[in-house]
Amino acid sequence: MKTDAEAAPRRARSETRVRALRWLIQLFLLLLFALLFGRVRYGLSPDFTDVFFRFDPLVFIVTSIATRTLLVAGLLSLAVVAGTLFFGRFFCGFVCPLGTTIDLADAVLRRKSPPAAAWRRGKFLTLVFLAAAAAAGTSFVGFFDPLAILSRSLALVFYPTTSHFAGLVSSVRPAVFAETMLALATLLVILGLGFAAPRFWCRNLCPLGGLLGLASKFSLLKFSFRGDCRTCGLCEKACPTGAIDSQHRKVDAAECIGCLACLRACPDHVIRYAAKLAPQSLDVGRREALVALGSGLVAAPLARSVVHARLQGRLLRPPGSIPEPDFLNACIRCGRCMKACPTNGLQPAILESGFDGLWTPRLVPRVGACEKNCNLCGQVCPTGAIRNLPLEEKTYARIGTAVVDRSRCLAWEQDRACLVCDEACPYNAIDSRNETLLGTTLGRPFVNEAACVGCGLCESRCPVDGPAAIQVFSMAADRRQTGWYKTPEKARLRSCGDEPQEDIPSGFIQD
Amino acid sequence: MNRRDFIKAGLGIAAAAMLPRRLFGAEPEKAVGPAVAVARGERTKLAKGALDLLGGMGKFVKPGDKVCIKPNISFAANSDCGATTTADMVRQVVRLCLAAGAARVVVFDHTIQEAALCVERSGIKTAVVDEAKVSLLTLTKERQFVDTPIPDGKELKSVKLAKILLDSDKFINLPTAKSHSATGVSLGMKGLMGVIWDRGALHKVNLHQAIADLASVVRPDLTIIDATRALTSGGPGGPGKTVSLNMAIAGVDPVAVDSYTVGITQWYNKSFTGKGVKHIVAAAEMGLGEIDTAKMNIKQVTI
Repeated sequence: MKTDAEAAPRRARSETRVRALRWLIQLFLLLLFALLFGRVRYGLSPDFTDVFFRFDPLVFIVTSIATRTLLVAGLLSLAVVAGTLFFGRFFCGFVCPLGTTIDLADAVLRRKSPPAAAWRRGKFLTLVFLAAAAAAGTSFVGFFDPLAILSRSLALVFYPTTSHFAGLVSSVRPAVFAETMLALATLLVILGLGFAAPRFWCRNLCPLGGLLGLASKFSLLKFSFRGDCRTCGLCEKACPTGAIDSQHRKVDAAECIGCLACLRACPDHVIRYAAKLAPQSLDVGRREALVALGSGLVAAPLARSVVHARLQGRLLRPPGSIPEPDFLNACIRCGRCMKACPTNGLQPAILESGFDGLWTPRLVPRVGACEKNCNLCGQVCPTGAIRNLPLEEKTYARIGTAVVDRSRCLAWEQDRACLVCDEACPYNAIDSRNETLLGTTLGRPFVNEAACVGCGLCESRCPVDGPAAIQVFSMAADRRQTGWYKTPEKARLRSCGDEPQEDIPSGFIQD
Repeated sequence: MNRRDFIKAGLGIAAAAMLPRRLFGAEPEKAVGPAVAVARGERTKLAKGALDLLGGMGKFVKPGDKVCIKPNISFAANSDCGATTTADMVRQVVRLCLAAGAARVVVFDHTIQEAALCVERSGIKTAVVDEAKVSLLTLTKERQFVDTPIPDGKELKSVKLAKILLDSDKFINLPTAKSHSATGVSLGMKGLMGVIWDRGALHKVNLHQAIADLASVVRPDLTIIDATRALTSGGPGGPGKTVSLNMAIAGVDPVAVDSYTVGITQWYNKSFTGKGVKHIVAAAEMGLGEIDTAKMNIKQVTI
């Protein structure tokens, strides 16, 4: 039998060890998250790179509600909820890579943890807001989910930066994106909130934290005070989430992320992690909850604006994208498809598809076209917003249709032997026909609409300055929830292309 | 000796007298024109066959030379489409260079489609990796090019040329024989558009003359046209009609090599000569080479 005095230093040592272990786990998982993201690259297998998203219950729940379809890929995330019901909100303290990133930023900022603030309720309110909006038909989860935020930051901020420097010393082509600053600002604000309090985002705003906090109220294992407490308040000061009320000797299970800071802070080792069956009460605030609910219901329709897309007709979604309303709901704006795209053609939408379309992928052929031999975007999409199509099937998943603007075309307007579009087209969808205009006979481009899939290679290569003289519009885009794109008729049309009926090129001198 | 024996012997002597000239291809009355070597037959030996007619690769590549080879890798298409130089031909020429003592060989192109996919799908990536001293270079950045004036240019006054040309002692152009919707054929000189940065600029002016302008400053030490198969319609990207020819055409004179190759098959189901192709005519008019096949020293071999 050992006395307390003998046991104390040993306990302190083991607590230090556990804390070190936590840091190791956190850093390992953050590194893993980044490495898996880095593997989202043409030529590498995308398998398992979406593993974090599969364990994200917020994405699973909100996406399933908004699309009215069970997100099968996210079913495993229920294990995280189950784990939380047993161990508490450990996900936030050990797993969440954004949480780790915030911890690292907080370590630099070195702010003291203020006592629990009333607006810790915020994270439950964002959860209510997301659920209400999803029920009303719009998913905002991509803007609030921590994994989506971090993934997007890696895609739109980190990747262009690293590829820029890699490009200075190698043949790597720097990635360029239409929108990077808002993504950067989001990350900076989240990290900068650490000025107000450590883990500010996690304790006050994160809806995934809210969801897991909710579950933690019912968790079997909880932190609690045992034995003689001097009410010194050191634990409360050490707690990065304001979970401890030392005066009343209470630990709020919804706030506690299991970081173990209190265990080390307590000089008497009176804080224990042990089974406690009784659930804690939860006060979200009925009035606030109603406001969040109402906001979600109002925001859902207001954020939807298809006017711009209809006017321009240039909203080109990646091949295999499901029909638009569901696409917007299924896409979590993680940016993986844009990282994956080998031509850099997949770009974040800004307002092209409405307010809630921010950061959704759209093909901008003037930057890069959709490569015929690549189906990586569909392979890396964690939610199936872009369907994972076999390579051949993908070549039939029509994105849009190319249209020649004869008033800008070198062949049509300036009698130049150009036809770069014809040259570039991998689908033989552009025919060169000898047309006589004002006495000049010359091969001029015509789009064969039946063969065109809208890959945009013609638009990307058109030598005209500014907007291309051949542009892809979203017309005839094939958007399906299920089923196949290749039909016997389409396959037959394509095989006929083996011996096209062509006019003799104007490069020949003919009698 | 009876009459029959006399005739036999006479024919024999006559044949023997003619034999050396056929065997060694002397034909002095034709030797004034540029040499064009034409090899036919076994695909895997075409390059050597053609080069041997020109005196061997050692005549062009000296020990220690830094060599760059530009096949056509423009398209991310399967090699069978005929849109790109065959990987096997690239490998043959690379090995000939190494055998001649080249210090290093760089296989390069400025592709039309995504470079990484082009080198992969054409098979050229795997064709060069197993060789020491050999590297594959895709030009994707403006800084890989350098501004170069075209003193005699009629349409183009300057162009950004691939630096690798300047960094090399020898430049071998290794195009594939294919049709082209704008220029009719895409052979050696048209393929030179793969050594410049702004390909589009040529389309904004008279393309045919611009190709000739480009050929006036980019002079390959050797042009070898891969005509194992020709894409005779649907070019340059295909798909189109491919004709199996099992030929390689090599020479120093870029106009002569192109002009001869125009005549080896039909294009768009029609027969043409080099004189029927605008950019080849323009190059000949600039004095860049011989367009008339009758004035060429054509050497042929069947392997």
